[in-house]
Amino acid sequence: MSEIIYLTDVAVITCVVDKQHSDAVLVAARDMGARGAIVHSAQGWGIRERLGALGVAVETERDVIEFLVSSDQQDLVFEAIFQTAGLDAPGRGFMYISSVDRAATYVPEAVRKQLDAELE
Amino acid sequence: MAQIRFSDYLSAHRAVKSEVSANLLTTVPELDADGKPIPVELEPMRFTAPEVLRLIQPYVSTRFMDQVKAVVPLALYLALFQLLILRQVVEDSLLITGGLFAVIIGLMIFMEGLARGLMPFGEIIGSTLPRKSPLPVVLFITLLLGIGVTFAEPAIGALQAAGQNISVERAPYLYALLNDWAGVLVLVVGASVGLAAVLGTVRFLYGWSLKPLIYLALAPVLALTIYCAMDPDLHVTLGLAWDAGAVTTGPVTVPLVLSLGIGISAAAGKSDSGLSGFGIVTLASLFPILGVMLLSVYVASTVTPAEIIESAQLAAGAAQDARLPWYQRSPGVEIILGVRAIAPLVIFLFIVLKLVLRDRLPRPGEIVYGIGLTIIGMCIFNIGLTFGLSKLGGNAGSMVPAAFMEIGSIANSPMYRYGVGLVIALAFAWFLGFGATVAEPALNALGVTAEDLTEGVFKKKTLINAVSIGVACGIAIGLAKLIFNLPLVWLIIPGYLTAIVLTMFSDETFVNVAWDSAGVTTGPITVPLVLAMGIGFGNATNAVEGFGILCMASIGPIISVMITGLWARYKANAQVRAARQETMISKDQEVQAIL
Repeated sequence: MSEIIYLTDVAVITCVVDKQHSDAVLVAARDMGARGAIVHSAQGWGIRERLGALGVAVETERDVIEFLVSSDQQDLVFEAIFQTAGLDAPGRGFMYISSVDRAATYVPEAVRKQLDAELE
Repeated sequence: MAQIRFSDYLSAHRAVKSEVSANLLTTVPELDADGKPIPVELEPMRFTAPEVLRLIQPYVSTRFMDQVKAVVPLALYLALFQLLILRQVVEDSLLITGGLFAVIIGLMIFMEGLARGLMPFGEIIGSTLPRKSPLPVVLFITLLLGIGVTFAEPAIGALQAAGQNISVERAPYLYALLNDWAGVLVLVVGASVGLAAVLGTVRFLYGWSLKPLIYLALAPVLALTIYCAMDPDLHVTLGLAWDAGAVTTGPVTVPLVLSLGIGISAAAGKSDSGLSGFGIVTLASLFPILGVMLLSVYVASTVTPAEIIESAQLAAGAAQDARLPWYQRSPGVEIILGVRAIAPLVIFLFIVLKLVLRDRLPRPGEIVYGIGLTIIGMCIFNIGLTFGLSKLGGNAGSMVPAAFMEIGSIANSPMYRYGVGLVIALAFAWFLGFGATVAEPALNALGVTAEDLTEGVFKKKTLINAVSIGVACGIAIGLAKLIFNLPLVWLIIPGYLTAIVLTMFSDETFVNVAWDSAGVTTGPITVPLVLAMGIGFGNATNAVEGFGILCMASIGPIISVMITGLWARYKANAQVRAARQETMISKDQEVQAIL
């Protein structure tokens, strides 16, 4: 049996943004230390329908981007995404943080050694 | 008595676990004087050698196994047939094994390079060119692309390899086409593919039906075939012309030309109806036939057979005198061939991108890596082609006739009574065709498309079986042609007339699928193997030339798929009728129940 290293203090930041903003969001999150992201293509529904005639200004082609980050990073990453995606304007998108109980992935040999050294 | 908690018992069997806070593994940006975070530079990941190995191992092994699955069963089949049925040791078995290994490695590298280098290139051009340039320019570039991809097709090398085994005295024009005119031959085939791509694209821009195009393309092809068949010198070139059609549609041509075609129709606002990709492959396997026949008529009008024989003998004499320079010897010649096949296509794509589109490549490093792989793969494949596939096919071809006739080099031939031996030889060809086709990945993809298009009426498995049986029968008939020395016209004309009649009665969807299935079945492994086998067989049975098997393998699936399509439609109609009757009966019962 191979060893599983459980990662704790993990949060997932999910944001729903216009397709044309997603590249900028990915760069902003990376600058704040996010290691990777999953991008889903999606169709938005909701505000467009409630806006009436103004609804034509809201994009329906969306990307849903998920970032797995550590709890220390989460606020900085969250703020950076908020600013970059322009969520301070109506109809631009939506985002949330949820805490993750445990996560696991491959931890490279070098990192593992470094961890052992730090723990001792 | 000791007690153990169930959860302790379970956790003892689980993976040893430890917990680490993710905060230890990530970096948080530091703040500058104004309290603004400074962007983090992510350090590149460092892996130890075993880790790198574990990362690369699945990347290589899946691609390796793909090619092993395609090559090894066929090679084993040929080798076992020779050992068990003909009781002959495979000559040069070590060299052939090495050659086949080179084929596997070469194709693996080539396909990966294709996916990484040429395909993204083609996709960018396919999606942006039609939007930025007027239609005539786009069509002109499509024409040039057709020529480029034909040179890059791995199976084309097999034609040149085949040329060395032709006896110049008996088929001078065939020899001339494959040796002195080999470059022109490939150019003509390429131009035909380009024309087919242009016509196929225009077809789905204007939504023309494929049926009239097939009739219009076949009329001159069949007429010229009859003309050539009448000519005593030209009739031996017919087999080559018809086989050229099958050789062209391979793993480079089909996706590259299709991506451009689909891009054009998307830019014109035509939605992808699912059928739009079809038709190009069909035309790309019909037009080269016409092109090669016209070329052979032209060659016949410029040089006489006597001149060809004379120059060939001169060349043969010269070759014995002087030691060839490195670029004319193996493996130098294969490497030159490989570079010459890929480089024009790459340069052409690059010029289009820079001058016409003024665009940049999205990931230049990866594309350069891909193009490098394509060239290396092509070189290794060419070496494997010479020493592996062509040799194995040629060996098998020259051995199989020993089953039913006397062959000088094989001691106790004929090994079986004439009738039995004949059946063995034909069965050998049939199963070879069936096995080679069932495993073809392109056919699997076509099967999925066909199932989608017909809403499940035509199952993927049905199509694969129909095509495989068609190819198998085609190859067996092609072999019979060599055994009995039948003129190719006798087989082609009735075959294609049958196909035309079936086309008239079939739905547009089935016509598209059936005619395209002829092109997709002949991949880079089947073509050299079957070509070499045919030529070896032809030499052993003293037939003038060994071409013509591949074209029978093209017409076979066209007929078998359309028959299956008609049968499926008949059954579907019968089901609908039965269902209608049933509902009527149940309604009657309801009425009675109410009453």
